[in-house]
Amino acid sequence: MSASSASSRKTLSKIACNRLQKELAEWQVNPPAGFKHKVTDNLQRWVIEVIGAPGTLYADETYNLQVDFPEHYPMEAPQVIFVPPAPLHPHIYSNGHICLDILYDSWSPAMTVSSICISILSMLSSSTVKQRPEDNDRYVKNCRNGRSPKETRWWFHDDKV
Amino acid sequence: MAEEEEIVGEVEALQAVYGDDCLLLQTYPPSFHLHIKPRTADDSSQQFVEAIIGIQAGSKYPDEPPAIRIIDSKGLDEQRQKQLISCISERASELSSCLMLVALCEEAVERLSSMNHPDGECPLCLYPLVAEDSGSSEPFMKLMSCFHCFHCECIIRWWNWLELLKESDAPTASGSASSSGSIRDQDEESRRKCPVCRKSFLAKDIEHVLDFVKTQHAVTSSRSEVNNEDKILSSVSEKLRRAKFDAILKLQQEKGGLIEIKKHEVLRPGIYLPQPAALPSTASTEEAKEQQDKDLAANSRTNSSGSTNKPNTSRARNSSTKKHQGHNSRKQVAQSSRKQVTQWVKKENSNAT
Ligand SMILES: [Zn+2]
Ligand SMILES: [Zn+2]
Repeated sequence: MSASSASSRKTLSKIACNRLQKELAEWQVNPPAGFKHKVTDNLQRWVIEVIGAPGTLYADETYNLQVDFPEHYPMEAPQVIFVPPAPLHPHIYSNGHICLDILYDSWSPAMTVSSICISILSMLSSSTVKQRPEDNDRYVKNCRNGRSPKETRWWFHDDKV
Repeated sequence: MAEEEEIVGEVEALQAVYGDDCLLLQTYPPSFHLHIKPRTADDSSQQFVEAIIGIQAGSKYPDEPPAIRIIDSKGLDEQRQKQLISCISERASELSSCLMLVALCEEAVERLSSMNHPDGECPLCLYPLVAEDSGSSEPFMKLMSCFHCFHCECIIRWWNWLELLKESDAPTASGSASSSGSIRDQDEESRRKCPVCRKSFLAKDIEHVLDFVKTQHAVTSSRSEVNNEDKILSSVSEKLRRAKFDAILKLQQEKGGLIEIKKHEVLRPGIYLPQPAALPSTASTEEAKEQQDKDLAANSRTNSSGSTNKPNTSRARNSSTKKHQGHNSRKQVAQSSRKQVTQWVKKENSNAT
């Protein structure tokens, strides 16, 4: 989505602000289990601490997610990355980029930061092996100029074809 | 003091008025269940709530008011349930020592009618669909295919956003859509997916709202509308626009655009297909779920013919040389069944724009 990367540096629209304030308020009352929002006065960038769920490969490990909201959130997906060091996971690149469809093509404006967090934790929890994606080195090299994961062309491929 | 005969007469009158909606458990002292619906709900599509109340008189009726409770209800949160009962009970004590059964039933219908609105928040802005203090509420609409509700403004903003994306994606998307024979199934323009459940719906589901917006903003292109949304919201014409939205809402109600939401199905943003375990086991929900599943299955078939809102799919297939073995999608918590047959593929940034 070419529109998204260009506008992600712009300030939040009023609608995005209202929506985020609403999400923040809800988060404060009812945060998703295993996550802690590190309070700043920056509504446009949330840093969220993730603690690996007990009984999983990441139990007791702590990571940080950085969530950047574009001007037209929630029409546009936020940019969500792990602040390196990122967890060792087959879908997480060492630069923190996450291969998770809801962050890109499958984003819907009905999703929230909270629901994203739950998806990410579930992705971590279901992992059976601690390793990087096969193409990690090449991908990370390609991103060296600070490219956003939203500029990566991720997509579904029907594996029956 | 009323004679038993009089009371029996009252019960007969009650049955005459309410017919099948009144389930008589006992004639004397009277005890019955009454199935109440909002007054506006002759057309069931205008119905958001309903209830079955139990009214049970004791041997000292009518000197002592009957006991009133809710047997079952739909769409009513606890607060409104309590409110309903307390209103009827209040009426009962006002009418003490009169034969009051019909009056109580009328009170119940009256109260329920005033509560005929859906619970929960708009999944797009997260503000309540219907403000508790009423009056200040934005108009809302529902998608006929899945019964999810949104503020009119919110869903239109989303719609316009997608139109805008489509414009910028036009070169890749147009080819297959226009040449297709079956408009109903193939024409991408006529279908969207619900932001909450991704069940596809037809444009005509919301076209009455869209038509209105088009006439209002004929001068403003859809592109600038997104940018000017804040300005538009605060403009002087906003009041007029709101009034027209209300009119449209009415029209939409007549067309059968309103719904019945159950308390446990409160629209929760971010939650997609509900987990089966969390599903209330009412027949209507099950049906909706089944239908949904069928649709998803159908979608997954249409997917492979390249007619979905993912214009990239066909390109992905063509550019298989550049393709990477991707990750499977089990990492998704609440995704559609369609995703289970798909696989992640990442392609290096081709810098399309
Ligand atoms: Zn809304
Ligand atoms: Zn829906």
